[in-house]
Amino acid sequence: MTPSIPVPAQWPDRYGDELYRFALSRVSAADVAEELVQDTFLSALDGLATFRAEASERTWLFIILRRKIIDHYRRQARATHVGLDEISDGGSAEADFFTPENGHWNGPQAPASWLQADAALEQQELHEILQRCQQRLPPQQGAVFALRFVEELSAAEICQELGLSSANYWVIVHRAKLQLRRCLEKHGLGKN
Amino acid sequence: MRRLITCQNATLLLEKQADQPAPRALRASLWLHLRYCPDCNRYATQTVQIAEWARASAATRVSSSVGLSDAAKQRMRERLAAAG
Repeated sequence: MTPSIPVPAQWPDRYGDELYRFALSRVSAADVAEELVQDTFLSALDGLATFRAEASERTWLFIILRRKIIDHYRRQARATHVGLDEISDGGSAEADFFTPENGHWNGPQAPASWLQADAALEQQELHEILQRCQQRLPPQQGAVFALRFVEELSAAEICQELGLSSANYWVIVHRAKLQLRRCLEKHGLGKN
Repeated sequence: MRRLITCQNATLLLEKQADQPAPRALRASLWLHLRYCPDCNRYATQTVQIAEWARASAATRVSSSVGLSDAAKQRMRERLAAAG
């Protein structure tokens, strides 16, 4: 099969919708998703000379978009950089969940049973609740959570992207999970 | 027995362990803690569920009928033409 030669003028019509849906599934805001797609096309145009015909044009554009999404999360995380001390001193986030004196769950914050979580909520509803809970995370936690659990970057890659130490990274992941768990429970999962 | 490590440490360790194996002694402490702490046991299950749901949620979040507006596509064509 003869590899196709990219025709930039056709990209918005050929790939725009698909790329936009992918971007929107990551960033939620329509204007941001649109900008990511536009930046993808412009970067692809810049790098046209480096396009290798063994990859499809579509795959190549998705790789560029994914890079743009990671950059977006990096900006989000860095815009709200949490200082080292704020992270390493245990911070107020952990004090919300665990008793400072002994480090055990703080009574009402202890995880409730989600035994029938899947059955109690429609998948769609569950996904919507999770999405809302993710949006409520502090920006840095939201970015780290998305990079790890949606984009599936490794811990080392995320530390490199965001300039985090390994210890800080784990504290952020831990806090994000604690907050999400509580948010999900508050919005329906803990009532079984 | 569960005083060997606290719930705060146990839940943090659970997150770490999902990415990198902990030293044997720490794994043993975590195992012991989970054996006697129903709250952290629940957390262990729920934190895995949250990760799975996050992936699934992103994959199904946007309906296949959603797309760029004609105006947005036109803007992109113009930007590409100007940049090219």
